[in-house]
This record gives sequence, C-alpha cells and structure tokens, in this order.
Amino acid sequence: MGDKLNFAFYWTAGCGGCEVATLDIDEKILDVAELANIVLWPIAMDFKYEDIENMDDDNIDVSFINGAIRNTEQREIAELLREKSKVVVAFGACACHGGIPSLGNFHNKDEIFQEAYVDTISTNNPDNNLPTPKTEVAEGELTIPEFFDTVYKLDDLIEVEYYLPGCPPSTDLIIKAVEAIANDNLPPVGSVIASKKTVCDECDREKKEKKVKEFRRPYEVDVDPELCLLEQGIICCGSATTGGCGANCPTVNMPCRGCYGPTSEVADQGAKLLSAVASVIDSDDQEEIAKIAKDILDPGGTFYRFGMSNSLLKRKKLG
Amino acid sequence: MTESKEFEPNIVGFLCNWCSYAGADLAGISRIKYPSNIKIIRVMCSGRVEPSHILKAFKEGADGILVSG
Ligand code: SF4
Ligand code: SF4
Ligand code: SF4
Repeated sequence: MGDKLNFAFYWTAGCGGCEVATLDIDEKILDVAELANIVLWPIAMDFKYEDIENMDDDNIDVSFINGAIRNTEQREIAELLREKSKVVVAFGACACHGGIPSLGNFHNKDEIFQEAYVDTISTNNPDNNLPTPKTEVAEGELTIPEFFDTVYKLDDLIEVEYYLPGCPPSTDLIIKAVEAIANDNLPPVGSVIASKKTVCDECDREKKEKKVKEFRRPYEVDVDPELCLLEQGIICCGSATTGGCGANCPTVNMPCRGCYGPTSEVADQGAKLLSAVASVIDSDDQEEIAKIAKDILDPGGTFYRFGMSNSLLKRKKLG
Repeated sequence: MTESKEFEPNIVGFLCNWCSYAGADLAGISRIKYPSNIKIIRVMCSGRVEPSHILKAFKEGADGILVSG
C-alpha cells in the first residue's frame, strides 16, 4: 500500500457523464486500483470531507475534478483539493472550459431561479420560494451553498496542472492520462491532453468548396455520409475545435458540437466559428446573407455551447 | 492637450495596408495631426480581421473599434 499513489475524484457542476466515462475505461480501472488508493470519490465511495481536511498538504498525488464551479460548496472543495494535491487535472469540458453549465452565463442568478423555480410548467411553487443560503427554522439555522451569478471554469479559481477536455473525455485519452501518471511521463504543466490538431484534421469526410445557401439542422437533412457536414449546411464546429476524439460525431453523421474546446491557435472558439460560418455563406447580397444567417438557431448557444467560461465574452453583462 | 478630464475613448483601428493605412501614413508624412487615442494596427486586408480580434481588443480595454479598408 505504501508505494501507491493517492487519487481523488470529485464532481462539481457536472452531469455525472464524466464519472461514467471514468468507469467506462472497463478493466483498466483495475490498473487504476493497482496504481492508486482512492481517497475521495463521492459518487462511488463513502469518504467524508473531514478525511481530506485532516490530510497534510500535497498528500493527494492527483485530483481529477470534473464539472464547472457555480456555488460556494464547489469552490470550497476545489480549493481544499488544491491545497492537498500535488497535481490537479481539469477533467472534462465543464472543468476545462465551463461546459454546458456555462451557458448559464447568458443569464444571471435571478433569471435562472425564476425559470427553474417559478416559470417552468411543471413547477408548483405558489409562495415563490427560492433557494436561500440561510433559513431560520424552529430547530436553528439551515444553510445551503450560495449560487453564483457566473459559472466558472476550474482554473478561474484554482491552479490546474493538466486539462483533459471533452464532454466527456474519450476513454482513450483517459487511459493515456492514467498511463502517463503511472509511468511518471506527464507532459509539461499546463498541457491539454488531446490532439494539437482540429477535429476537421481527424475527420475523413470529403472537403470540397464550401458554399452554403441555407443552414439546416441534422434531422432536416438526408445526410450524405461522405461529404463534409458544413458543406451540407449543417453547422459543424470541427474547424475551431481541438481534436483527440477521432472526429467521433461527424463519423456518425452528427456535426461536431465543439466539446473539446478551442485549439491553442484559437483565441475564442465562438468567434472562430462565426468566421468559419460567415465565410461559407454563398451570397454577396446583404439581405440574403442576413436571411441565411437567420437559419442558425440560437447562435450563442451553438457557437459557445461548451465554453462560455472560456470565451472572451465570459458572460452576459451583469446589472 | 485637454484641460478638463473629459472621457477620452480608447479606439483601436484595424487599417488595411493598401488603402486606409496608406492614408494614415500619408497623413503622417503630410504632418496632419490626428488624435493620439487611436491605436492603429496594420492588416494586409480588412478581410483578415476576425471577430476574435475585435473581442480581444474590447477585452484589452478598447472602447471602440474601427475596421477600415
Ligand atoms: S464535461 Fe460533459 S460529461 Fe463531463 S460533467 Fe460536463 S456535461 Fe457531464
Ligand atoms: S466541418 Fe465537420 S464534417 Fe466538415 S471536415 Fe470539419 S469536422 Fe468534418
Ligand atoms: S466531434 Fe466534436 S462534439 Fe464530438 S466528441 Fe469530438 S470534439 Fe466533441
């Protein structure tokens, strides 16, 4: 036992998919068990936060944290794990770039509460009760974590050594990361464990001249299985997105949604996609261009689907 | 030199090498003065300017952006 590493797995604002992806490495999970003692893994094992608090600093060799940070509890545990860990890995799109939860940055806390606790059709909340950090009851004070206006990526709040992107990261990349840890062969601090190229580079679809007269959603198109999806008028984010997944989605006729985040050459994934999409519109006529662009449903959510926290925009203006 | 502390916008201008930048250059050679609160970035074509350049300039503190060419 003495020679084993200590690993912690933690989730913050995530969907659980990254946890499942960790288990999806199948029998390789036994290698992980061979390699390391797991000291925290709330979804699978029973540990208490006190166990971590009582540790010496740097006692954990690697903490894998998935999920974005959107409340005080998540921030507290992320900071605690940072203090106790030699290496922190941002695991998955939410931790690396904000992920799907960071679409919340198009709104603020009040709007989100109003929608989730009042306006949704299935909600029955006649007293308009909203989550409140402190509530007095007969037995004393009840507290719950405080919800932020803004969703943060992990490295907005703590230092992060490695990034394992993807929603969730592919099994191959998880295994690659674990093997690198096992063999003490980790890349330079700050590295993204994925490809240096784009999804388009990994995609076998035939790329010809891109000229698009209308944008359509995948279900509206009888998709040609050989031809680039963007050329078929389907918004595909491959050109602005880091590869490493092996172009999973285009391979099965679905466009890339951009979950691996921008490549190191790209300052802002959404802005890059905007240029890519603008450059394929086949028209010189302002009105027609505006009409074609209108076909794009929810451009903000489409271009920044996995990375509002990582974008130059960061969020909708507050106040 | 302005005496009062009026708001001076920080303007970033992306100017095309072949027209607007040449114009700005000519203004310089002809000693025509223009305000110092425009920072000019020469690009080889205004078509080279990407949305991310504009966002980045705003992030770095620009109040306004001029793309000319
Ligand atoms: S990256 Fe994707 S799979 Fe992982 S927690 Fe976030 S939403 Fe879920
Ligand atoms: S845009 Fe999409 S479909 Fe086209 S080459 Fe790139 S990844 Fe493949
Ligand atoms: S193709 Fe795009 S959306 Fe699909 S897994 Fe790869 S990076 Fe993610």
